[in-house]
Amino acid sequence: MPSEPLIQVRDLSKHFRTFRRRPGIWGGIQNLFVRDYKTVEAVDRVTFDISQGEMVGYIGPNGAGKSTTIKMLTGILVPTSGEVRVGGFVPWRDRTNYVRTIGVVFGQRTQLWWDIAVIESFHLLRKMYDVAQRDFDERMALFGEILGLKDYLHTPVRKLSLGERMRCDLAAALLHNPPLLFLDEPTIGLDVVAKDHIRKFLTAVNERFRTTVLLTTHDLDDIEALCRRIIIIDRGRLLYDGPLELLKQRLLRTKQVKFVMRDAEACARLAALPIDGLQMETVDELTCRVRFDRTKVDTGDLVRQVLARVEVRDLVIEDESIEDVVKRIYAGEALREVSLQ
Amino acid sequence: MSLRNIGIVYRKELMDSLRDRRTLISTIVMPLLLIPAMTIGFGSFAISMVKKAEKEVPKLMILGGEDSPGIVSALRSLPDAVFVPASDDYARQITNKVVRAAVRIPAGFEASLHGGDPASVEIYVYEGELKSEFGAQKFRAFFDDLRQRTIESRLAARNLSPAILRPFVVTKKNVAPEEKVGAAFSSAMLPYLVILMCLTGAMYPAMDLTAGEKERGTMETILTSRVSRTHLVLGKFLLVLTASIATALLAVTSMGFSSHMAATMFAKDLPPAAAQQFRLSISPQALAAVFVLVVPVAVLFSAALLAISLFAKTYKEAQSYISPLMIVVIVPAVASLMPGVELNWRLALVPILNTSLVSKEIFTGTYHWNFIGAILASSCVYAAAALATAVHLFQREDVLFRT
Repeated sequence: MPSEPLIQVRDLSKHFRTFRRRPGIWGGIQNLFVRDYKTVEAVDRVTFDISQGEMVGYIGPNGAGKSTTIKMLTGILVPTSGEVRVGGFVPWRDRTNYVRTIGVVFGQRTQLWWDIAVIESFHLLRKMYDVAQRDFDERMALFGEILGLKDYLHTPVRKLSLGERMRCDLAAALLHNPPLLFLDEPTIGLDVVAKDHIRKFLTAVNERFRTTVLLTTHDLDDIEALCRRIIIIDRGRLLYDGPLELLKQRLLRTKQVKFVMRDAEACARLAALPIDGLQMETVDELTCRVRFDRTKVDTGDLVRQVLARVEVRDLVIEDESIEDVVKRIYAGEALREVSLQ
Repeated sequence: MSLRNIGIVYRKELMDSLRDRRTLISTIVMPLLLIPAMTIGFGSFAISMVKKAEKEVPKLMILGGEDSPGIVSALRSLPDAVFVPASDDYARQITNKVVRAAVRIPAGFEASLHGGDPASVEIYVYEGELKSEFGAQKFRAFFDDLRQRTIESRLAARNLSPAILRPFVVTKKNVAPEEKVGAAFSSAMLPYLVILMCLTGAMYPAMDLTAGEKERGTMETILTSRVSRTHLVLGKFLLVLTASIATALLAVTSMGFSSHMAATMFAKDLPPAAAQQFRLSISPQALAAVFVLVVPVAVLFSAALLAISLFAKTYKEAQSYISPLMIVVIVPAVASLMPGVELNWRLALVPILNTSLVSKEIFTGTYHWNFIGAILASSCVYAAAALATAVHLFQREDVLFRT
């Protein structure tokens, strides 16, 4: 895309000074008098660009620096070094004008006020962001339609389920029609139906308003449903920035299915399946796990074949966790060829 | 500076606080229930204890007096008293409250009364113990009366008038205005109470709006909103101030009501002067003047509490920082209640104590305008410093995101 990227991040770093606590009672007493400080590089020289209208997954294990990056991009934290420009703004310098152009949702916390009805929070936000009444009504009608908010607009936030609350939070973040949306773990703790609802809504918003979305997540299904591009960071460092498809081909190839059998002999029959490239692992007498390369074996096909031959009580289809992917990148697998393009 | 944004934050926090039970209890229920309960409850408890002690028929002991049968039998015929046999461990029995009081009649007491020789009667008492004092009072009244009669009969025997012993009479008359005398007790208590209530009223909202918000994880979300940090802290501060002043106002109202109730209720049980102690007689002007003086103190408390609890990571941590502050505040407030602590230029600069002292004066109708001006000015300086600190702390990343 020839036009200037919406988000430009150059050598962004954030260091925290924390003090190392010594263990035990004696350590506790020592801590009172002598403090042993260490510097944690939460984000370390991260560089990337994001263009208008993109939906990018920002992923990494716990403590990788995802949230710290989001906090710097939203202007809450001031970086130790490096540059950020978002739509012409330096987030932390001109924060109050900048935040008119962004929406933020933190998955585990709500920006809606806990004890008051959802609609009252919306009204306060409308005033805060100077949204005209007509625009507000229009948008509420739209969100009501896609998100199904109408039923609980007058309920206090604390009485909402997590899924309902997340929908309200998304609506609140988009009330002032920002061209850019930051989402920190938007589907954490939600059930399958609620996750699906949120994903559909995000896709709709992205298509309709060309809203740029940067989301952090643990859930690879989120990424798969929403993003074509992902950025992986770990321990503050950028590990991968590129198309999801490429990563999937190179790294996310392994899929696994766990089968729970009716009897012990079934496991043996499963091992005799005439499909190439299956790795079998026995979990216990009645449970075994089959691992395979998803580019070579079709998951549906595999399950169909197994069900035709063996009596199965239950089955679970699993992806590799993001932690495992990161571990494998560290192990050197395909790192060079994938990450540095 | 946008008053509108501060107003939005204020409105949000107000709506939230009105639904928070802890804040409601500390702001409204505490002053409305606690003060009447304390004034009336404590008053009636004290009165009933005194009455019970008075009603008790004390066990008394007479030591000696074998050669003074007249005195002993006169003592034994005292009404509302029970006499137990003399015993050498009278001291232990009095200490253990078996016997309330004892009297030792010296040998040859009756004879020395007739002969005109000086004699000494000893009353044994558990000093400070109410029931023992009441028991001893019976002995004292008896011997006072006996001495009076002995003097009179001796004077009569010498043909002298009893008036010779009273060449003149001394009487004491109060010239201070009624309100000053009557309101001594309540006016001393009131400033202390108002200051304490300003603190307790501000405490819970201050913790909830800062440490509580951090704990719930909503601090980040509110920081991403369009409101600047300065507006945010000012909005929060105004709410804490509202709670502080509301609590103090409710406390004064409640105190006025309950002291009136107490004075009416205890009127029949207490001598008028004592019952008057409960009555608050404060002019509206005095109340208004004290209110003006208390506002900067409330600002000081609200800003200081906000700054301290902002530093805490959790509600619990905030509580442990603030509990010692309670003591720091109570000490100067109580100091003003101590006799002999008078307003002077040095004390006029001590925060809290100055307001407490000058309020006491105002409530009794004395206006030292120069002190009032100085105290108002110094309180405003302290309040402004505290507020500036709170605003400054709110800009600091290491305070907002302390880990």
